[in-house]
Amino acid sequence: MTTLINFVTHSRLWRSFFRHGMPDNPLDRSLVMTTNIFFHLHPVKVNVKSIRAGYSMGLGVITLAAFISLTITGVLLMFYYVPSVERAFVNIVDLQTKVPFGQLLRNLHRWGAHLMVLITVLHMARVFYTGAYKPPREFNWGVGVILLILTLGASFTGYLLPWDQLSFWAITVGTSIASYEPFMGPIIKKILLGGPEVGQESLIRFYALHIMIIPLFMALLISLHLWRVRKDGGLAANEVKD
Amino acid sequence: MTDSLPTKQVFTKGTKTYSLVEIVKAPLTMVEKGPDHTLFAFPIVAILELLLTLGMTLALLIFSLFKNAPLEELANPLVTTDPAKAPWYFMGLQELLEHMHPTLAGVILPALVVLFLIAIPYIDQDRTHAGKWFSTPRGKRITLFSAIYTAAAMPLFVILSSMFPPRELFRGVLPDLLTQSVIPGAVLFTLALLPALWLIVAQRKQTNTREVMLALFTVFIVAAAVFTLTGFLFRGPGFKLYLPWNMPNGYNPFDGL
Repeated sequence: MTTLINFVTHSRLWRSFFRHGMPDNPLDRSLVMTTNIFFHLHPVKVNVKSIRAGYSMGLGVITLAAFISLTITGVLLMFYYVPSVERAFVNIVDLQTKVPFGQLLRNLHRWGAHLMVLITVLHMARVFYTGAYKPPREFNWGVGVILLILTLGASFTGYLLPWDQLSFWAITVGTSIASYEPFMGPIIKKILLGGPEVGQESLIRFYALHIMIIPLFMALLISLHLWRVRKDGGLAANEVKD
Repeated sequence: MTDSLPTKQVFTKGTKTYSLVEIVKAPLTMVEKGPDHTLFAFPIVAILELLLTLGMTLALLIFSLFKNAPLEELANPLVTTDPAKAPWYFMGLQELLEHMHPTLAGVILPALVVLFLIAIPYIDQDRTHAGKWFSTPRGKRITLFSAIYTAAAMPLFVILSSMFPPRELFRGVLPDLLTQSVIPGAVLFTLALLPALWLIVAQRKQTNTREVMLALFTVFIVAAAVFTLTGFLFRGPGFKLYLPWNMPNGYNPFDGL
């Protein structure tokens, strides 16, 4: 068995994938992080203080987990959903009644979205109350504020898609708030809705924002946010002197 | 490399073995700590993060098995729902709209909040106590006091402003600008700034910037929670105030989640 594992992990194919050995020593444990495009966003070494549950409560990790979970369930929902005022609502009803696990899929996406908004706010409160926004982390705090706004935007644009009474009137009320701005308000509302009121043009705009534009910016900013945590010296808990 | 050489040979008497290369003004995150204070992220931290992800997914899955996402009838622009509510996280804004001019509630206040949030680290630059919850025991007391104060002051604002709306009281007497924007805006701002002002004026000698920020942020986040909960839970048909368990027409605020 060991010979087989050795044969596989020393093969040319394996070595072309992973440029490090078994991560059981400091060098390979560093390489496993730095030679992986996803892991390199993460610090190679972390301070024991920063992983204490009572410090960060894992809220940032949970937010990211919610984002990933929403991406997966969201892509699956795209296989059934058509952003048309004639078909959207029927699609959702069919999804819930005819598609195996369709109702569960929609539940996961909906409750996941609410969870993400809630956890993002709690994460911001945690960072504030632990003073983790202080220099050199002021830029990353700003990125976080923009991510919070994007999270609200992602949730809000998704709210319209089921095209039921709840979503229609929630978006009507929500977008009317935007239109109160005396100079740009009506223009913003028109750009967002594509017309004087919520209709087909609004549905397709919200759909594009919801499935492509906002998630793309979020993925970009989340990467920046995580990378910046590493660059700014890990979590602020590291700086506390005993 | 050096271990192969005998120590004597490398550090002979009189040889300077160190030199001051540069003075760095940077956060010394590892000051007075050995490498034993840190862990390799792989595998322990990675496993912890994976467990957290799995835990979140499991909790979400269990909740989703028992509670279905709401779906009402097909959208109908001709039939308004009563009440017509924005998604829950915008209910704080919708609640504010009941008390003041839309430009103030829907544009000026949100813009000020975002500006304030982004400005926090540029105002509070002092790195002392970074990474410690509430910074100091005094910071904790300030947070607690501000939270209790806001949790009392903001519901009072909602109730009084609903019972005696300045817009109605002074209709025809004072201009709309005063009754819809200046009066409610001034009252809300005074209420929100009171803890910070008290720290700056009465506690001038002991107070630092961080403590003023603690007071301001706590007022903001508790006020946001109060307005959101008021709008989400306590507003029923006609957008009137009701007790959540005593809504008319069988309206249940949680149906709109």
